[in-house]
Amino acid sequence: MNTETFSENAKAALQDVQLRGALRNATTLFGKRRSAAAASLSNWEELRSEARAIKDDVLLHLDRYLEEFVENAERRGAKFHWARDAAEANDIICQLTRERGARNVVKSKSMTTEEIHLNTALERAGLQVVETDLGEYIIQLAHETPSHIIAPAIHKTKRQVAELFTAELGMAPTDDVVKLTSIARATLRERFAAADIGISGVNFGIVETGTIVIVENEGNIRLTTSLPRTHIAVMGIEKLLPRFADLDVFLKLLPRSATGQASSTYQSFITGTKRKASDEGPDELHIVLLDNGRSRMLAHPVTRQSLACVRCGACLNACPVYQQIGGHAYGTVYPGPIGSVITPQLLGIEKTAQLPYASSLCGACREVCPVKIDIPRLLLHLRSEISSKQPSGRRAERFAFKLWALVMTRPWLYRLAAVTGRLFQRWFKPPLRAWTNGRDLRPLDRESFREQWRRTR
Amino acid sequence: MRSIRSHLALSAPYESREPRTNTDPCKSVSPSVVSSVVAEFKRNLEAVDGHCIIARNKLEVEAAVTRITEGKRIASSDAPPSVQDLFNCDVGITWAQAGIAETGTLMLDSAAEQNRLVSLVPPVHIAILDASRIYATLGETLAMLQSGDEISPAITFITGPSRTADIELTLTVGVHGPQELHVIIIERN
Repeated sequence: MNTETFSENAKAALQDVQLRGALRNATTLFGKRRSAAAASLSNWEELRSEARAIKDDVLLHLDRYLEEFVENAERRGAKFHWARDAAEANDIICQLTRERGARNVVKSKSMTTEEIHLNTALERAGLQVVETDLGEYIIQLAHETPSHIIAPAIHKTKRQVAELFTAELGMAPTDDVVKLTSIARATLRERFAAADIGISGVNFGIVETGTIVIVENEGNIRLTTSLPRTHIAVMGIEKLLPRFADLDVFLKLLPRSATGQASSTYQSFITGTKRKASDEGPDELHIVLLDNGRSRMLAHPVTRQSLACVRCGACLNACPVYQQIGGHAYGTVYPGPIGSVITPQLLGIEKTAQLPYASSLCGACREVCPVKIDIPRLLLHLRSEISSKQPSGRRAERFAFKLWALVMTRPWLYRLAAVTGRLFQRWFKPPLRAWTNGRDLRPLDRESFREQWRRTR
Repeated sequence: MRSIRSHLALSAPYESREPRTNTDPCKSVSPSVVSSVVAEFKRNLEAVDGHCIIARNKLEVEAAVTRITEGKRIASSDAPPSVQDLFNCDVGITWAQAGIAETGTLMLDSAAEQNRLVSLVPPVHIAILDASRIYATLGETLAMLQSGDEISPAITFITGPSRTADIELTLTVGVHGPQELHVIIIERN
């Protein structure tokens, strides 16, 4: 699937009864849990505003904060690699694995590594890569992509997972979720024991200490970052928070927005490498700082707020479009409202011109966003960019809106249009099939509002 | 970095780049030694499927540990076995260097003992926590970490046993980490 065929993908998804059932369950449950978790804190709105203020400050001074972060982490043993784009990041990581003669890589869930398609690059370099998050493991076995930021296999039923495990792992058929989980645990334990390198993402980078913070529920991130001798962390340049104390805001907002938990099960704070050879943990920590289009978003305050995103997935669950079609229809790594905002900025609007239109602009995403990103405003910003870049592409639309403006600013013309519209609608259907295909065009009433008003006043 | 600077420079007409003033300097705080904090810790830990035992002295701690570990292979953080052996252990025992009452969270500091794998690999984790090390809030705990001299290479916050809901959103406990978490709080009178 790709983004250029969004409307076809969406139509196919709407026909998929099983998918829609799964989506309904998931988005309703996540939505309910999120609201309850938010309501459990009396200062939720203050926290959101504070989080946004912290992120705005970070992004406005990103150059200075990045230098400070790198300096503090390097002093404690971390090594840094700057990657301008996905290809550079993949080259750096493949080079690191080659230099260490690595064969087995364990990965923990990371949207950033999905963004750069790291697994494909590593496999091409001849490495065995295994995703260790249960949801990611399932979709890796099925050769699929995540359909939700925090629940990647949300589109699969337990029966489908059971069939997959039977075919791929030689398991006796069962659709007991507990058994399926324990089989994955046992299989992945062997992979952990054999791993030379662990690759993770990063949720937050703390400037004042050079610490990286990673949150999770399963424990696979802890294993990935503790067992292998080398840990490679891939992080977007926007992930910084200036102070340790800022986590008080973000560690409250993130799990509540994502799953409705007051706290995720595990939060790992990793600061450089171990101090003594006899200590536990990897010998080396490499942090790959990824730009891949992010620095472009810094240039304007409207686009810059896209970089405040903490990847909680709350906007997906709240979105009436995502609720119906799921993540795959978007054809992108980042689905849903935030995906429609980030993807065109990362990949260029030429290839993704349908995405900013995949929204009714209802604003539900803005309401739930823990860092108050004004997603509808961003979508409009991108739409205006698209229409200004394609002056000829939407000539009919332009003409229609010019006509609309002409009529709406002249009361006599409006009255005339209403009268003729009512007279002629009996014989003439307007040529709006592209629009009416998915919607009803209600006929105009015999009596206009103005006439009713005059009559009943 | 050049790309970051040039794009930030482009945004100059929209706003000034005055540094933000720190509004909330971290105060030094000490753990709140009141039994209500212990009770809150216990309640919140149990809400996420953790077990909590309150002991008044060393003997009671030993008795509680024995009850859970009877007939099982034990690994402990003072003398952890090799990684290979650890994979065959049933129970891992560590201390917790702090607790957070508002979420029932444990804090394990890798500088204090060899706790990273012992608390993670075996299917049962027992953590012993001194009641005087329980902080009321996450904010107080972070302030304590920040006020220390040098931050450890690995600090881990643990809230309940390992969990996932990746298959049909069915909550399953014990996917990669422990299935069972027992916290023994020592509350001296």
